[in-house]
Order: sequence, then C-alpha cells, then structure tokens
Amino acid sequence: MGGRLSGGTAWLVYGITACVMVFVMAPLLVAISISFSAAPFASFPPQGFTFDWYRQVLVDPDFIDAFSFSIGLALASTVTSVALGLPAALALQRSNIPAASVMQGVLLSPLIFPVLITGLALLQFYSAANMQQAVVNLYIGHTLVTLPYVVRTVTASLQLVDRSLEEAARTLGADRWRTFRRVTIPQIAPGVAAGALFAFMVSLDNYPISMWLSDARAVPLPILLFQRMSSVFDPSIAAMASLMILVGAAAVVVLERLVGLRRAMGI
Amino acid sequence: MEIKSADLALSGLTKTYGHSLAVDNVTVRIGTGEMVALLGPSGCGKTTTLRMIAGLIEPSGGDILIGGRSIVNVPVHKRNIGMLFQSYALFPHLSVGQNVAFGLEMRGVRKAEAARRVTDALTLVQLDHLAERLPTALSGGQQQRVALARALVIEPSVMLLDEPLGALDKSLRESMQVELRQLQQRLGITTVIVTHDQEEALTLADRIVIMRAGKLEQIGTPQEIYSRPVSRFVAGFIGASNFLRGHVAGSDGGTTLVALQGGARVTVPTQAGASGEVMVALRPEAIQVQPFAGQNDAAPNTTQATIEQIIYRGSLTHLYLRLDDGAPLLAFHQNRAGERAPAELSPGGRVVARWTEENNHLVADR
Ligand SMILES: Nc1ncnc2c1ncn2[C@@H]1O[C@H](COP(=O)(O)OP(=O)(O)OP(=O)(O)O)[C@@H](O)[C@H]1O
Ligand SMILES: [Mg+2]
Repeated sequence: MGGRLSGGTAWLVYGITACVMVFVMAPLLVAISISFSAAPFASFPPQGFTFDWYRQVLVDPDFIDAFSFSIGLALASTVTSVALGLPAALALQRSNIPAASVMQGVLLSPLIFPVLITGLALLQFYSAANMQQAVVNLYIGHTLVTLPYVVRTVTASLQLVDRSLEEAARTLGADRWRTFRRVTIPQIAPGVAAGALFAFMVSLDNYPISMWLSDARAVPLPILLFQRMSSVFDPSIAAMASLMILVGAAAVVVLERLVGLRRAMGI
Repeated sequence: MEIKSADLALSGLTKTYGHSLAVDNVTVRIGTGEMVALLGPSGCGKTTTLRMIAGLIEPSGGDILIGGRSIVNVPVHKRNIGMLFQSYALFPHLSVGQNVAFGLEMRGVRKAEAARRVTDALTLVQLDHLAERLPTALSGGQQQRVALARALVIEPSVMLLDEPLGALDKSLRESMQVELRQLQQRLGITTVIVTHDQEEALTLADRIVIMRAGKLEQIGTPQEIYSRPVSRFVAGFIGASNFLRGHVAGSDGGTTLVALQGGARVTVPTQAGASGEVMVALRPEAIQVQPFAGQNDAAPNTTQATIEQIIYRGSLTHLYLRLDDGAPLLAFHQNRAGERAPAELSPGGRVVARWTEENNHLVADR
C-alpha cells in the first residue's frame, strides 16, 4: 500500500504495530538470548555469554537425528501437499465438478478439527489397519494437516487470476496443459510458495500429531525438545529452539528470493 | 502482414442457461474482410455470442462455420481466432515482445521468423520501440494495441473484439476506433466487434447487428439501420427518434397518408403491410422549426407546437416541443459556426414544425 499516514492516526498505527511486534518477537528473543546464557539452567535474564550450548547441541546425535528427521518429514509432506493440493485446488476452481464446495470442505476440514483429536484418530486407524511404520504414519499424518494450507492458498490465488488471461492463451493456440504451465502457474506461483511455506512450518513444529505417532526411532524435533525439557531444562533446549527459528527464517528468505512471497501475501 | 481471412456464418445459434435463452436462434453471415458490430443493451447476449464463436462457451444449438467449415467441435486453441478482451488480458509476467510471440510459439514457429513477425506486428501498432517493457508499464491504449498486435500476429481467420475500447477515455477511444478500422480494412480481416456504444458501431462497422433479449432484431449497414429501422427499439437505440402514433387514412401509389392522434397528417413512402394503427419514426434533425406566422397550414408533415425547452449542445440545439394534444416532439437545429440557438425562438413560443415525406418511416411498435 502506497498511502502515507499522518498525525494521530500514524502514531496509533505505529504504536499498535510495535505492540504486536513485541508480543510476537519477545518470546523468540527470550529463547534466543537464553541459548547464549552461561548459566547451567535455562533462566531469564541470561547470565554471561557462551556458544557452548550450540557446540553441545550440534554434536548431540539425538538432536542431529531429530533435526534432520523433522526437516525431511517437513520437506516430504510439503512436496506431497503441493503435488496433491495444486491439482485439487485447480479442479475445485476451474472445472465444473459436482459438489465442489463439499469437497473443498472435506479437504480443508483438518484445519477445523482439533489436531490432537486428528492425531488420536489416526493412531486408532493405523493400529486397526495394522500399520506399524512410524515414519510412514508420521508422513501421512503430517501431509493430512499440511495439505489444507496448500489447497487454501492456491485456491485463493486461483480466484485472483484474471480468467481472461487463460482464455487469451487458449485463443492464441495453447491447449489446456500449456495454458496452465505458461500462464496459470506463473500467476499463482507466489500463492503456491506461500502454501508450501505454511505447510513446511506447520509440519516442522507439529507436536500434537507427532506425539501420537512417533516411536523410539522416529522422533521429530518438537518431541525431542519436549522429552528433554521434562528431564533437564538447560539452555541447550533454547539452542535447539533457536536453530528451529533459524530454519523457519531461512525458509521465508529463500522463498522470498525465489518467487516474491511478499506479493503472495499481499504485503 | 498478409492475412488470409475467411467468412463467418452463424446458423440458428442458440445458448440456454437453465430455462433462460441468452442467445436465441441467431443467424447471420459475415463476409470475408467484413467488419460487423454486435450492438444491443446490456444482457442481450452479445458477449455470449462472441464467446461461442471463440469456443469459450459451448452452444446449446445451431452451427458456426468459418470458411464454410463447421467449427463447433473444434477446440478453442485450434480455431485460429484472434480475440481482444475488454481487460486487455496481457500476460503480466511476459514482456510486450513475449506477449506478442506467445501465439507463434504455440504454433511452433521458428525463433528467427517469430522475431521478425513480432517486430512487424508491433510496428503495425506503432509500439516496436516498447518490445522489452512489461505490460504493466504501459498506458491503457498502449496495452490494447499490444493485445491487438498479439491477436493479429497469428494471422487469424476471424477477429473477435469484446468492447475492446470500453476502458479507455473518450478521446483515446475515438482515435483507437479510427486506427482499428484502418488496420482492419488494410488487412482485410473478418471482424466481429461487440459494443453497446452506438457511435462506435456506426464508426467501425460495415454492418450492424442489433440484438435484443438474445434475438437478432435487425441487420444492416449503419445507414440502413439509421434511416430504415424496423422497430421502435432499433430507432430508439441508434440515435434519437420521435415516434408518432396514428392510423392509415388512405394510400395513393407510392404514398400512404397517416392521420396522427393529435389531428395532424403525415405522408409516408408506402411500406408493405401498412394498415390500421401504425407508428411513424421521425428523426429530430429532419424537423425544421420556425416561429408561427399566424396563418394555419393544413398541409401534411406540418404541425403547430409550443417550445418547452431549448438546450444548446455545441453543434446542435435541441428543441423540446409539445404538440397541442400533449405529445412531445424533439427537433435538432444545426448551429452555424459561432451561432447559438436560433434567436427568434424562445421557450413558450408558438412554432410550426415542418419536415418532408422521405423522413417519415413506419416502424413496428415494439
Ligand atoms: N454463466 C451464465 N449463467 C447464467 N446466465 C448467464 C451466464 N452468462 C450469461 N448469462 C445471461 O445471459 C444473458 C446474456 O449475457 P451476455 O453476457 O451475453 O450479455 P451482453 O450482451 O454481453 O451484455 P453486456 O453489454 O452487459 O456485456 C444475460 O441475461 C446473462 O445474465
Ligand atoms: Mg458483454
């Protein structure tokens, strides 16, 4: 938005924005600052300054396993969500399939159901179906909760695409597939990227699904964090949390570079 | 650029949405190189007709033929039709040059030849210097010219334009109309343009198709439509018109005498089937208005009236008259340079309105 605010309104808006920023950022800053604390227990304000916790965490095999497992799981469910969500959104938006709104409702329903309950239901389903592979179960469970984010953002950006662009492409000699690839995709790319980012982040810090479905060998990072927290609450946990924040921030930056996330989110 | 255009025929073309008929049995033949305007009020089915020709909407009935071949079963991308949209529909992620090249690329035209043809097409619309720009960095008029180049470069058999100039301001619209018309005639490309602007239809089209509620009301050259409208609807839609009610009071060879409700009589060049109650259309510019001089004139095509209002409109002065039976009559006075309204006329004044027989035209009262 190009307009400039002035006078009292400006101060009000800046003030509220500042409050929101503090509210959102403060807990993150607390975690990050504790991760550099020299004290043996996590406490705020931090005392001293050290990289020791990072040194310790980065060679901790449990952490490395959980971290790489979480990243892999998040990537896999993101890719799957995009692969399934993109065609689904396209079908919902662009073809006259019957009961499209019902189907959209079903696809988006994991957003509404309490995730904890979804996880429990999945656990019961898997045991009934005798599915014992925790990795596969987690992958399916995470995809289930990340898919709606992709469907939602892609549907929204498809709605915004000027239909006459696609029609112009068709009259110019592009069949449906080439129209999609050459015209539709470039238009919705930022929306797809935004959906993918949501999916990735939702999977990366998902606790309620993983809690039910993980086992001793398949441990996502949030589960590990929780286990550690209940035994020793030292700043290494803050270091792990900070590394997760770093991954999230990196994902945002990369996508911004690739497709202009800001445009997708209408900022 | 050489374009091998073809003729276009719509035969009984129909589109129903549920129970409503958006387009109702439209039959029209458009010759090679001809430009036809679809004109009609909002919702009369112009866009639907055009989109059926393009293949973007499937007809419920009837046939569409290009060069004598039915195309209803040919998918959009194989119809070789150039279409212009009101929103321009330029691909925002492609440069002007890439936009124009799009259709050639889809046809697998070799790079070097495509580049030459893109330059030619952009030169045609005087935008060859902007090939590298993104469409968002162009004005509305420039964007529509790019869209025109993009549609022309594929050498379409038929061009379809859906209110292509609707988003432009008046003066730009008028200059684009002239440009469009010259280009269309030079390339000899069969064109259908949708508009609800009668001026645009008169300026651009070889023939005008007037549509009403999905049906074809009248087809003809602008002059035919203007001077011989078939119905009150057509006469009122193109230009302004007076409608005088009366009944046929006699006929001698080429002339029919009509007695108007207010007592005046008019003579009409005889039209087939005229009898009983009729309606006479009379263009306001055909009426001469003079101050009433005192003597009663009983000749036909003359009536006394009172001036209600005089409105100066630049080249014309609009005179709103009221006949003695209360019927309104509108007359246009052509102003000479520098002149305002005719000085001897003023509101409330008695006048005599006169016109000649060939300006009277019987229309259907619908
Ligand atoms: N998808 C649709 N479903 C139902 N009715 C429709 C649909 N599209 C158009 N119509 C109806 O068909 C009729 C013709 O519409 P069309 O868009 O062809 O009008 P138009 O002559 O182009 O009008 P305008 O000058 O406003 O653009 C209208 O009554 C419209 O409401
Ligand atoms: Mg329309």
